[in-house]
Amino acid sequence: MTSFLLRRVLGALVILLIISAVTFYLFYAVPRDPARAFCGKICRPETLALIRHNLGMDEPLFVQYWHWLAGIFTGREFVQFGECPAPCLGYSFATQEPVFGAIVDRFPVTLSLTIGASVVILSFGILTGMLAAWKAGRPIDKIASSSSVIGASLQIYFVGPLLAFYLVDTLGLIPRPSYVPFTEEPLSWFTHLLLPWVVLSIIFTANYTRMTRSQMVEQLAEDYVRTARAKGMSGRSVFFRFAWRGAMIPILTIFGVDLATLLGGAIITEQTFSLHGIGELAVRAVQNTDLPMLLGVTIVGAAAIVLLNIFVDVLYAFIDPRVRLG
Amino acid sequence: MRSHNRRFASFTAVLAVGALALAGCAKGGGGGAPQGETATSQKPVDNKAVSAITVGTAQDSTGPAPEVPGAKPGGTVNMIDRDDFSHLDPGRVYLNYNASVSALFTRQLTNYKKDDSGIKLVGDLATDTGSTTDGGKTWKFTLKDGLKWQDGAPITAADVKYSFERLYADFITEGPTYAQAWLVPDAAKPYRDQYKGPYDGKELDTIETPDDKTVIFHLNAAHPDFNFTVAMTGYGAVPKAHDTKQKYDKQPFSSGPYQIVSHVTDKSLDLERNPNWDKATDPIRHAYPDKFHMEFGLQSQQTTERFLADAGGDKQAFTFHNPVAPERIQEVLNNPEAMKRSLQGLTPFTTFYNINTKRVTDVNVRKAISTAWPSQQVQQLQGGELGAGKIATTVMSPTVLGYEAFDLYGKLKTPQGDPEAAKALLAKSGTPNPTVVYAYNQTPVQEKVTIAIKEALTKAGFKVVAKPLNPTTFYDAIGQVDNKYDIYWGGWAADWPTGSTAIQPQFDGRQIADGAANYSHLNVPEINDAIDKANTITDAAEAGKAWAAIDRQIMDQAAIVPEHYQTYFGLYGSGLGGVKFDPIQGEQSALDIWVK
Repeated sequence: MTSFLLRRVLGALVILLIISAVTFYLFYAVPRDPARAFCGKICRPETLALIRHNLGMDEPLFVQYWHWLAGIFTGREFVQFGECPAPCLGYSFATQEPVFGAIVDRFPVTLSLTIGASVVILSFGILTGMLAAWKAGRPIDKIASSSSVIGASLQIYFVGPLLAFYLVDTLGLIPRPSYVPFTEEPLSWFTHLLLPWVVLSIIFTANYTRMTRSQMVEQLAEDYVRTARAKGMSGRSVFFRFAWRGAMIPILTIFGVDLATLLGGAIITEQTFSLHGIGELAVRAVQNTDLPMLLGVTIVGAAAIVLLNIFVDVLYAFIDPRVRLG
Repeated sequence: MRSHNRRFASFTAVLAVGALALAGCAKGGGGGAPQGETATSQKPVDNKAVSAITVGTAQDSTGPAPEVPGAKPGGTVNMIDRDDFSHLDPGRVYLNYNASVSALFTRQLTNYKKDDSGIKLVGDLATDTGSTTDGGKTWKFTLKDGLKWQDGAPITAADVKYSFERLYADFITEGPTYAQAWLVPDAAKPYRDQYKGPYDGKELDTIETPDDKTVIFHLNAAHPDFNFTVAMTGYGAVPKAHDTKQKYDKQPFSSGPYQIVSHVTDKSLDLERNPNWDKATDPIRHAYPDKFHMEFGLQSQQTTERFLADAGGDKQAFTFHNPVAPERIQEVLNNPEAMKRSLQGLTPFTTFYNINTKRVTDVNVRKAISTAWPSQQVQQLQGGELGAGKIATTVMSPTVLGYEAFDLYGKLKTPQGDPEAAKALLAKSGTPNPTVVYAYNQTPVQEKVTIAIKEALTKAGFKVVAKPLNPTTFYDAIGQVDNKYDIYWGGWAADWPTGSTAIQPQFDGRQIADGAANYSHLNVPEINDAIDKANTITDAAEAGKAWAAIDRQIMDQAAIVPEHYQTYFGLYGSGLGGVKFDPIQGEQSALDIWVK
């Protein structure tokens, strides 16, 4: 187990390194001069050169990348902004605050959104899927299957405001979405994020319902199920003690991928519900061509996805003993 | 100064990087006006009080500021706006939005007093607007008695000297650079090569402080309006004992009536009274409210909505910058209650279309372009008089000292353009069907404007090639001296309201360079000479006349087609009094506000 984790973490680091290098090159190679933004109205060429130097942008791209990378571990000193303590991802060109600080500030919002939605999606999706499989061919199966198609074809920016109008404005059942830190008021944290979670799950649950159903139906046709039945095990026991484990592996794999979609989709979710998370940060960074912030958001987002996928891999072992991690 | 306006601000280098909102002016590039604007029914802008800009006396410079009728102290004023202040270190302040808030905690040697008679330059830290005996080469300022920093320490001549010295530091790059270049031996060479700032212990010996109250500046050439220069927030006072260098930008030390309690980037700024500020020393600030609470992140659609609703804490709210959302201008105009809480005025910003005089060398062709120009349509497409501005006919705006109104190409009489008169001019030039390349910011509004321009010029006989440019690199493209375009949009605002900053950077032929402000590449020896001459006139009113004459010379060359004198139209809450439009910054002023 330990060596498995070690290998996965090392692999993850290599992936992140590659992502950061490629992103850095892509962003910093744009034909635009961020130094212009720090130069007064009547911008003298020597001032422009000074600013490029202050920002460390007068060096070859790979040296700049090396400084950026080293800054994460050792911190950096920018003439233009002052000290940037480790872990330093640079200073935002737009707000002149450390990128890492800005991300740390907003990360809990996006993380709460993603994790909360994941829990709802998985539990709800798997539950309805299993139910459909259990009652395969019966009306309940038809309803679950067809409603999942409807859910999958909806969009956040359509369902979001619609539900907000009915549940928040008209009925007043739940509060308007906002972020309350979990550490301060867990209950408010829950109620204030309920709407975004529900909306996300309406859209994503569908896939899991359908997948769980088909996987379960497939599993039930496997030899081991027949064997178990032949030995006299009840259908219920086979279904709930053995078959579901086999069905979960592909579902978890897909979930690992969907996590990235959820994190990426945070941009739309956060805009829809006016939540101040990483997604909003990313949108503003793009609008402002705020290169350090863009890079920071990309890397932290990638790191989160990679880490969550390692977590998913570990889950395999717990669900299916056939998966060996040694 | 730099505009915070998204449509306009773009002119400056900041927006050269387009959407880089570093200085707070997001959504760069020309033309952010709404679509489907019903401009025709808007009421004209009241632009009185723009004319009289004068230099005040020592009497005008003494505090306290004359009471605002009915005003009372106390309460908290809320400010809601789109962006956080990008810079608060005076040396890094150029943007008007940053300057507006700085007025609450940063003081300069001189400043502007605004009343019904117009705008007066007065002493702020100084007892008067300074004196010069050699035509503007040596300037002497005397500090007032009783000036204190927020910790109670006296503001001394040494502090003022230090404030100028630190502007040479390598991290101060965003602010104005006039004084820096004038206070080193050679103005033509980079000023940082001649002095590196005070942080290694070296002083700038061109600033003399014979005693605690006297500051004498020895400039390398005559600058008769140097007392206007030092009114810029960029030349505000910073105390040596509390200079935190780069960090000063987030938490400046107060010399004004308020001090910063907390500043959360992109979210809020809270101010409370500075107990050591003495209103007897201050001719322009009232400081009626006890506190200011400022919040950021609201688009003009949202602030307009909140001001119209006028509920709760928004009653005591104003905005420095956010204008009435263009799509709601008409609604506000039809709402008498809201109109009572509205402000209109001309900002110092002007917009125009540069004609590349290096490529369009025949003055008659340039005049024909001006004559045929569809000014009215261009104005309407961009939001009309209140959403964009008044149709301009001169280089200098009415907000500049010495402005004279004239209209060489009949833009007020035939604002739709006069193709017949243009044809006659083209006939005179010998090229009845010249081809012109019009480069524009590729935005939805500018696409429409371009069609209007193309149609109007075509009617007069031109062949127009429209060349769309990427808004983020627009200024880099047109900034090239050897660019391949004939006509392109631009904008400008005077850094202080005299011709020297309204005209010289844009039309001094000796300043043509890649990325320089002379986008029309006009280089006429007579105009260059006239600029030099105007720069030596010490009497402000006389200088104003000289600059107005140069304005006429430039317009006679048809180097630009003036577009707009930009307007401001904004709202505030019903629970506030004394909210005024500040013609120097072109937005709302916090200095006279009081809570009802």
